[in-house]
Amino acid sequence: MSTGPTRRAVLATGFATAASSLVSACAMGGAGGGQARDIGGRKDDEGGKVSGGITVWSWDVAAKAMKRLARTFEERHPGTTVDIVDIGYDNAYDKIIVGLRGGSGLADVLTVSGSHMPRFTGNFPSGFYDLTSLGGRYGGDFDRAAWHTVTGKDSAVFALPWDIGPCALYYRRDHFRAAGVDPASLVTWDDYVTAGVRIKKATGRKLLIMDSTDAGILPMLLQQQGQYYFKGGRVALDTPEAVRALTLMKSLQDEGLVDYEKGWDGLVTGTKEGKATTTPTAAWWTGTLTDEMPELKGRFGVVPLPGFTADGIRTSNMGGSTLCVPAQSKNPRLAWAFMEFLLTGKANQVSMLKREGLFPAYLPALDDPYLSTKQEYFGGQAALDVFARLARNIPPVEYNKDDAKATDIMVSAVTGVMLRGKDPRAALDSAARQLAAATGRERVK
Amino acid sequence: MAVPTTYDRPVAPARAPAPARRRRRRPTAWIFAGPAAVLFALFFAYPLGASLLQSFTTEDAGATHWVGLDQYRRMIHDPAFLESLFNTGIILVVQVPVMIGLALVLAVLLNQSWLRFRGTWRAVYFLPAVTTLVAYAVVFQVLLKTDGGLVNQILGAVGIGQVDWLNSPTWARVSLIASLTWRWTGYNAVILLAGLQSIGKEQYEAAAIDGSGTLSTYTRVILPQLRPVVLFCVITSTIGTLQLFDENYVLTRGGPDDATLTPVVYLYKAGFQQLDFGYAAAIAWVVVALIAAVSALQYVAFGRERRQ
Amino acid sequence: MTALQQASVRIHPARRAGRYLIRLLLVAGAVVSLVPFLWMAIAATHSTSDLFHSPPPFLPGGRLLDNLVRLQDTIGFGRVLLNSVGIAVVHTALSSLISAMCGYGLAKYRFRGRGLLLGAVLATMMIPFQVLLVPLFQMMASVGWIDSYQAVILPFLANSFGILLMRQSFVDFPDELLESARIDGSGELRTFYQVVLPCVRPQLGALVIFTFMAQWNSFIWPLLMLNSEDKYTVPVALNTLTGLSHVDYSGLMLGSLLATLPLMLLFLVFQRQFVAGLLGGAVKG
Repeated sequence: MSTGPTRRAVLATGFATAASSLVSACAMGGAGGGQARDIGGRKDDEGGKVSGGITVWSWDVAAKAMKRLARTFEERHPGTTVDIVDIGYDNAYDKIIVGLRGGSGLADVLTVSGSHMPRFTGNFPSGFYDLTSLGGRYGGDFDRAAWHTVTGKDSAVFALPWDIGPCALYYRRDHFRAAGVDPASLVTWDDYVTAGVRIKKATGRKLLIMDSTDAGILPMLLQQQGQYYFKGGRVALDTPEAVRALTLMKSLQDEGLVDYEKGWDGLVTGTKEGKATTTPTAAWWTGTLTDEMPELKGRFGVVPLPGFTADGIRTSNMGGSTLCVPAQSKNPRLAWAFMEFLLTGKANQVSMLKREGLFPAYLPALDDPYLSTKQEYFGGQAALDVFARLARNIPPVEYNKDDAKATDIMVSAVTGVMLRGKDPRAALDSAARQLAAATGRERVK
Repeated sequence: MAVPTTYDRPVAPARAPAPARRRRRRPTAWIFAGPAAVLFALFFAYPLGASLLQSFTTEDAGATHWVGLDQYRRMIHDPAFLESLFNTGIILVVQVPVMIGLALVLAVLLNQSWLRFRGTWRAVYFLPAVTTLVAYAVVFQVLLKTDGGLVNQILGAVGIGQVDWLNSPTWARVSLIASLTWRWTGYNAVILLAGLQSIGKEQYEAAAIDGSGTLSTYTRVILPQLRPVVLFCVITSTIGTLQLFDENYVLTRGGPDDATLTPVVYLYKAGFQQLDFGYAAAIAWVVVALIAAVSALQYVAFGRERRQ
Repeated sequence: MTALQQASVRIHPARRAGRYLIRLLLVAGAVVSLVPFLWMAIAATHSTSDLFHSPPPFLPGGRLLDNLVRLQDTIGFGRVLLNSVGIAVVHTALSSLISAMCGYGLAKYRFRGRGLLLGAVLATMMIPFQVLLVPLFQMMASVGWIDSYQAVILPFLANSFGILLMRQSFVDFPDELLESARIDGSGELRTFYQVVLPCVRPQLGALVIFTFMAQWNSFIWPLLMLNSEDKYTVPVALNTLTGLSHVDYSGLMLGSLLATLPLMLLFLVFQRQFVAGLLGGAVKG
């Protein structure tokens, strides 16, 4: 048992250090309240030299894109190392939240979904570097809705937007043709329902796929009308817009137009099998189509989302991520330099769209000729162009630190209506009441 | 439901726990208990204490406030939490007895003396318990898919219509119960089989000489002796159910409509999604209380066992 | 082995039928047990895009090698497998020893603090471990252990279940044997290693299997602790195959299948001890 003394020595040292740091951790009360750390003045940055190393957490294609471009960055800035770690998406936020609460252990740059950012800055106000002095000047270059997610009180900037998910309606050309429905005629959601009934009659196929364990297309429909779960800090679950959205979903359900599939693979399988003829979703869906169902080349087309009124907004947003620098970072300058390199140049943004399918929130990149190329997969349609045009109209919405609570309650309301036939208005009213009680907030009205 | 927990009491021998009458010097005892005690003190004293303290607080924008018992009071009026208790109750009342019953039958079948390759059988039945969770999630979602899932295809072949396994609240509960049973029946059967095999050969022979048939040998002679082992399985499964997280989280995330929500999934959501760590800690300690209550009940049951 | 009906030499036809029925039931149960694994194995031989067909494929495909190569390319499967083995072996060895010693101490000695220790053992077993994650993480961070193997291994070395299991095994250990060892002049520790431990080998075997299984499949804690891809364990690495808009199901299935094999092997090797040890001497007729 030769491990004995060594182990004991390790334990003894560990104990001493742990004990002393615990005392201080308790005294500080963990993450603590207070102000965000300022990343510093603009002056040092210009011409300032960066050095040392940083770690970046990300997942999926985003990690892949960064791994590729980090090499270029390192070449341009000798003496720096940028280490990209794929932490997987499913439990990424567990890791980030534990690190934020623990006050250490995080990477220098984090990937965070745009819709989560306000929740993090709201709950951990001192957890991130305030990037205003360095990043503020880029405000005009980014999509309005995405920029809204990275700014807090007094326009303080906590992150840079990376990609966005402008929404449109993917549809099956063959099914629409068989039913004699012109996709361009889907101007309003009422048109959409009517067309759905017709297509179902002609082809036996349903109109769209939803998952019974989430709120389905509700968040998308809300953002299309310029709101999420809160308005001005008040509970907005039962606004006329929300009632309109849920009523639409109920009529889709009542007409038998919804195909329920479980989770991501259910959605992909259902689409591949042609169970539903449309998918109202974001631009990143194209990557899934081309990867998982190459055999359906030429079958899909893209049109703007139907609107709630004839002249209403024809898009929304789903997904999209941002990069931020936690206050724990020991090398915020390098972290910022890398973010700036990655996100504020047209060439890199376009290359990430081309190679990894990340749709840029950086507006100058949307003018690139690549976006208007005709895509064979979509039967020669310039599908990216549809999204590029829509992207500028995405309504910004207010996210809030209590969004996760709201989501839970809202999912119950939606499933109550969709699966148990409850009345949308009544269900939303009760959801709003619950949320107001749980958060101590007032209701809009 | 990962590893059985209280091994301790249900299988305690008929003898009273050892009086530990060795009157050796204290330092000697600490040579043995020391490493574990130090590890507990190091790695659990603070987290346990911190979580208990946290259950009396709430946080707002990074600032912590003392709220006394508010978080505990909140649970009483929280429909989602009550639903999670209700779901746990259903699993306790339905799934645990069904699983233990099946495991018992399986153990008896595997205990037949003429059965060859017993080791292989045992391994095959144990396999589900060692599956990684990722695989478990994907496989069950594929098997239980409403349209084209293997289960529905088999049902369709015998003329039963499609069942919406994971999307309807009622069927999602059934699916969870079935998949829990799939994962843990073999595991319990292996334990029960060990119990059966530790019962002496003579007992079976004596019963056979008495002229009892196989079935009555089991019900009259063998099973009563197996009682402590059965109790052990019941208790570990009960505690596993009260701490249920893995299966229902990966399968349905507690949905649809909270139909498969359990207290631990709920506390995980409260903490890691809603960042309501005070509430999460309070729920955790209620779970502790529930488990302690069950352990106490089991202590009483064990007492009765001994008196008989 | 129990010998039910061992005496009867000639087998009655009705009994023979009964035996077939039992075999049939066992096979049916085994099929139910194995189907998900068979499907995993089948899925591991297809491309992810093929798996999205409905119904999914039920026969093996020809992409096993592709998937294996991709698994090695994307997550360095060989490397993470090695990490998992290393961590699980070290953890299991230390944890089993510590649990055995503690169990022995609790079973055979009365000492001040014994009740407190038992209480700690029970409390850590009952508390949902999700709630301990943040404080435990803070501790690891404060000693600078994030992204180290010891941070994965150390906190859960003292294993409540193992301690109770071992304590139970030692309770029955005859005190007379200990006394005679003592009279022979053997030290306490030596007595423990040379006299006591060999007698509870089956229980120790069971503990080894449980501990190894739990550590091998452990996910959240290693995920929180490890920040370098080349230090990942198998479950953490497999987790990265699940992206936001892309999931590598076939890689996931192949990886999970390969990850299950070592556990199967361990069980097959140690199952005799496992089964015997699980119940110790506790249920003697």
